[in-house]
Amino acid sequence: MLLFDYSDKFIYTFVIVEKGGDHRLIELKNIRKSFDGKEILKGIDLKVDKGDVLVIVGPSGSGKTTLLRCINFLEKPDAGTVSNDGFTVDSKKASRKDILTLRRKTAMVFQHYNLFKNKTVLENVMEGLVIAKKIKKGEARKISLELLKKVGLEEKTDAYPAQLSGGQQQRVGIARALALNPSVILFDEPTSALDPEMVGEVLAIIKEIAQEGITMIIVTHEIDFARDVASSVVFMDGGTVIEKGTPDEVFNHPQHERTKKFLRRLIHEPEYTI
Amino acid sequence: MAVIDLAFAIKHLPDVLKGVPATLAITIIAMICGLFSGLLISFIRIFKLPVLNQGAVLFISFIRGTPLIVQLYMFYYGLPVLFDYLNGRFGLQFNADNIHPLYIAFIAYTINTSAYQAEIMRGAIQSVDRGQMEAALSIGMTVPQALRRIIMPQAFRTALPDLGNTFIHLIKATSLAFAVKVMEILAISRTIANDGYRFLEMYLVAALLYWLLSWIFEIVFTKLEQKVSRYEKAQQSPVKRFYSVRQLKT
Repeated sequence: MLLFDYSDKFIYTFVIVEKGGDHRLIELKNIRKSFDGKEILKGIDLKVDKGDVLVIVGPSGSGKTTLLRCINFLEKPDAGTVSNDGFTVDSKKASRKDILTLRRKTAMVFQHYNLFKNKTVLENVMEGLVIAKKIKKGEARKISLELLKKVGLEEKTDAYPAQLSGGQQQRVGIARALALNPSVILFDEPTSALDPEMVGEVLAIIKEIAQEGITMIIVTHEIDFARDVASSVVFMDGGTVIEKGTPDEVFNHPQHERTKKFLRRLIHEPEYTI
Repeated sequence: MAVIDLAFAIKHLPDVLKGVPATLAITIIAMICGLFSGLLISFIRIFKLPVLNQGAVLFISFIRGTPLIVQLYMFYYGLPVLFDYLNGRFGLQFNADNIHPLYIAFIAYTINTSAYQAEIMRGAIQSVDRGQMEAALSIGMTVPQALRRIIMPQAFRTALPDLGNTFIHLIKATSLAFAVKVMEILAISRTIANDGYRFLEMYLVAALLYWLLSWIFEIVFTKLEQKVSRYEKAQQSPVKRFYSVRQLKT
């Protein structure tokens, strides 16, 4: 396995992996989760390679968001193991420290942005660097400004989240996640709460960072976007993985009746351009 | 002789002013200590710590369900009994008579207001969107870090108007401290009124002083609210927005 660290090109580490090398990044085994006696996840197994963009699609209530939240233990699975970047946590024996270690390998972009309301845009991005990663303020500031520039918000650094549009807030959310330089970024329906005219700007940025080789797991309803950025697609229904494959396999040649039914309802002409 | 003897009131105003420090001391100390113990109780309730949670529920219910003056009397007459018991049991030399009435008031008012402030803070903390905690955890913060840096600042912002009310309420509630022999504004006014048979005058003086103090702290809290709500400036209050829309239409 060869690793090239282009540290001059900011904080990202580009990883080139030889064919056949061990490039597994995330592995979920037999993840189970119930709420109030209702089983939401019925033993999910999932593998994500370094640099993969995995898109999870499925009808509401299929458990896709819950699955995503199990990866960083915002939901604690009832059973199963979560591995991320060589660190494995068994949900039944997870200590507080294990969960923190696992979480610090991930970052999440939320449906409702969840920017810290009492912090400015710049502080929102810096927060994780300074508090969780213990990076010096000056350096954290530099990294954050760079990322805000990347998402096109260098003019808004001193604004508070309430002063921004939904699309701008979500772009800050993406910058906040990027700042942590996580091994994977989890996107939980990042455009579902946005006005239609703002969906495009957010998807464009996600696509841009996807092309930089950052591993991502995206839960979304935007099938056209998924087709565009995904390296693999998972279709979930009723708490199980029904189908997994390349976007072409899952979207154009679905094997299962449930996938076909779901896609018939969902696929339509794109309303935006990326 | 006039119906209201203003000269008498003015003449004794300086004497009554001597009660202001006691009034303010009780208010401010009870407010601050009550906030800390109230926060502690609110966390016990939010995290549902076993046994302590039930204790907290009982405590809050009792404090809110009994008159302050009864609590003050219980404290005042209970303390010597408690000291006697402790002295007899452990051979200690506590003497309730040596305790300055002001200290009794500090403790009694702190206990009383902590119950109210616990409920205010509990409501404020729980009103913070749970997404804020999730976001904080997702970027690798610990729960205490998230509470300190994200949740509590927002909770205090929400709680501030209620805390302001509690403070004003406390100022006025100190007038009951005469029950434990504290010489504050009302106790002094009453003593002077008794001596000079001028009751209305002295109660007017007391009323004016309480009003003045409350008014000053109302301003202080309004300023404080403006200062901490800077991050909400972009958001117009819904009422105000509705009002201005109506104005445009008519």
